[in-house]
Amino acid sequence: MNSHGEDTATEKTEMRDALRALRVRRSVVHIFVAILLGLLPQAAVAQTPDDLFDPTTLHDIRIRLNARDLQSLHDRYLENAFYPGEFEWRGASVGNVAVRSRGTGSRNGIKLGLEVEFDRFIGGQRFLGLRGIVLDNLWQDPALLRESVTMALFARLGQPAPRESYARLFINDEYQGLYAIVETIDDQFLSRSFGDPAGYVLEYHWLSEFYGSYPGSRLSAYTPMFEPRTHELESPTTVYSPIERLFYEANRNTDSTWREGVDRYLDVQQFLMHVAIEEFVSELDGITGYAGMNNFYLYRPADNTRQQLIPWDRDNAFQDVQSSVFLRIDDNEILRRLLGYPDLRELYLQMLEACAAAAAGDRWLEREVAWRAALITPAAHADTNKWYSNDDVDRGIALLQSFARDRPAIVLNQIREAR
Amino acid sequence: MSGIYQVSWSDRVCKGCACIFLLTFCVKLDAQQAAPWPEGAAPASAVAQQATGGVAEQGETTFTWRDHPTLDIGDHLQLDFRARIQADVRRSGFVTADDDLDGVDIARRRVGVAGTIDRVATFEVERELDGNNPWRDVYLNYQQFPVQVQGGRFKLPLSLDENTSATNLDFIYRSRAATQLAPGRDVGVMAHGRHGLVRYDFGIFRGDGDNSRANTTTHVTGMTTRAGRVVIDPFRRSKSAWRDLQVGVAFTTSTVPEGFGDIRGRSALGESFFTPTILVNGARRRIALEQRWRPGPFSVKAEYIRLTNERLGQGMDNGDLPPLESAGWYVSGTWILTGEQKSRGADNPKRPLFQGGYGAIEVGGRIEKLSFWSDGIGQISTSPRAEVILRQSDRAATFGVNWFPNRWTKLQFNLVQEQLLIPSRDMAAQTLQFWSRVLRVQFAL
Repeated sequence: MNSHGEDTATEKTEMRDALRALRVRRSVVHIFVAILLGLLPQAAVAQTPDDLFDPTTLHDIRIRLNARDLQSLHDRYLENAFYPGEFEWRGASVGNVAVRSRGTGSRNGIKLGLEVEFDRFIGGQRFLGLRGIVLDNLWQDPALLRESVTMALFARLGQPAPRESYARLFINDEYQGLYAIVETIDDQFLSRSFGDPAGYVLEYHWLSEFYGSYPGSRLSAYTPMFEPRTHELESPTTVYSPIERLFYEANRNTDSTWREGVDRYLDVQQFLMHVAIEEFVSELDGITGYAGMNNFYLYRPADNTRQQLIPWDRDNAFQDVQSSVFLRIDDNEILRRLLGYPDLRELYLQMLEACAAAAAGDRWLEREVAWRAALITPAAHADTNKWYSNDDVDRGIALLQSFARDRPAIVLNQIREAR
Repeated sequence: MSGIYQVSWSDRVCKGCACIFLLTFCVKLDAQQAAPWPEGAAPASAVAQQATGGVAEQGETTFTWRDHPTLDIGDHLQLDFRARIQADVRRSGFVTADDDLDGVDIARRRVGVAGTIDRVATFEVERELDGNNPWRDVYLNYQQFPVQVQGGRFKLPLSLDENTSATNLDFIYRSRAATQLAPGRDVGVMAHGRHGLVRYDFGIFRGDGDNSRANTTTHVTGMTTRAGRVVIDPFRRSKSAWRDLQVGVAFTTSTVPEGFGDIRGRSALGESFFTPTILVNGARRRIALEQRWRPGPFSVKAEYIRLTNERLGQGMDNGDLPPLESAGWYVSGTWILTGEQKSRGADNPKRPLFQGGYGAIEVGGRIEKLSFWSDGIGQISTSPRAEVILRQSDRAATFGVNWFPNRWTKLQFNLVQEQLLIPSRDMAAQTLQFWSRVLRVQFAL
């Protein structure tokens, strides 16, 4: 017994020791794993462009620039010179990115509008598979929300639009302010939006008031207006002929074949939907802009000539809740003649109804403004580089909220009157 | 490409006629000089009359025409008038959006005067007839003492090829190394002379020469530049074929302020393959080695030039970056098939065209390479602050034929095969190979 009892006691002791040793080993393994996990950069956790453009998150973006380059960026903000830098998001960083000042009306030396190209200095370099992004300084929008809400409405209505999210931007560890991260319009955008990476996309540059009149048969008249973002090295004839044809057809005097001719070079339905959304959100500087057409890209599939519009820069939306849905429509040569056709006019009104329904349904537009405002307000208030004061921000958000609440009914009322 | 323009066929025909006229004119002059006496048999008085157009007497102002139109004003001043026109017809196989690379190019229309003052000083003033920066050599050389002093605007003493007059080049274009890495002309003062077997030049210049100077305010170039060159003719006193051999070493040093450097890489016909988008700051140093040997109708030349430009404080964190390095070399050889002595110049044929011969014919070949790079540890990129710059280079082989119908006319044809090593979109090295051909007609007084 004794010996058995001693044996049992010995076994228990050995078992305890073994368990203790096992626990120690487990603890060591756990600690080791924990250390490993801690050491692993967050980049190792797979991130995608969807994460970067997730609008429900306020991101932190950090850029590191040479101090003299940063000063030069501020001093020479009107130039398009690229400066080398390092870009970091969620612990994932990429070096030798190219950073330049960007924007037209929003370009300034205080709160820099920035374009970041990942592949300019290192060909083929990508960040999350992206070639570049735009960091919009939200300079002209006191609410800092207009663009992202408008783009969300475009997307809700099935229209191609760049993805956007918000970020606090730090350059050399100094807070620069609240920015919008905007997807660039390039072959990757075409691939995502149209499944057509080989398509043509051209950025429209505002040079003077242009209302869709015929610029002439010389393609050189179109090259400063439309800058190719894909097929940059292709012959001007291939790139620009369909654009020249569009404006040629749109300005022909014959009524019998006019519509057929325009339809060959313009996706009329998509065009009207684009304009309907702009008119719904009372866009000041779009296709029916106060100074002619502005802020759009032209997309053309690789295999046909029918062109579509992609919206850009919506800082001037939500201007006037009472704005007419036909505001400046007649100024535009193409729109004026398109809406002269009763069936297209009716289609346009139906599209406006769809806009109102999409905005009012489940108070979607109001809720979009509300949750985005909640997301950005602390960072916007902390942004000392912004053009507007914090009171302006609060007032701007309040105006957007009332616009979101009242606009659908006002538009529906206008549609009823138009019929 | 400045100075280059496309011309219509009618313009080409007009230019062709002008060249033929000039050619005929100088052939006629040449023939007048030679006739009616056989070589070496003309009476002295006849030579004097023929050369001066009159009888020269001591202290008088006389005009003569031998190699150049020359005006002697008494014993105090002698003026040699010079003019040169060069027209190129060229075709490049390089695929580029720059159509100006092909076509007809009036490469040079240059006039000048060189002379002697009281036998103690020489001078030269030369300028292009058009262009933004028309002045070429404008200098005075005081030669009263064994150490001569030269001041004004002239070429810095670095590179044999660069310091060879464009009229006397073996090939239509200078070597890549001389064109892109040698400094060229600047304003300065230089002491030079010979001591036994050694020739020397040491000078100080306002800038780093105009070869690389970019015509933009965004690029920076070397400031005050010190330059020196020592050439040894080790067999100068011998009677052997080695008598003409010379070897030399040269250097320049200057400081470049912070900014985009101005050193660039271009192919023979001017296609850019390395653009000055790299930030530099600090010392710029050149070191060059040269060799020339011209036994009989042959010549062999070789040069190596290395240029280093510091990049102090140009890192992202203001640290120093490895210097931007450039290097170029060439080896060339020529052979005058008609037997003239190369050291005396093939441009003075023994039997000119229409005077019992067909002029002098020379063939030659040159191989060369020009490279740009920066060694370091880090990512290869094209950023202005790139730590590592991928090696970019141009390797070229030139085959040439020169025809000198007479003293004043030269026709050159060059076939150039080039191989550019440049970064591809994904920063791998890619090679572009192409041929170019150039025909040059030169008329020089």
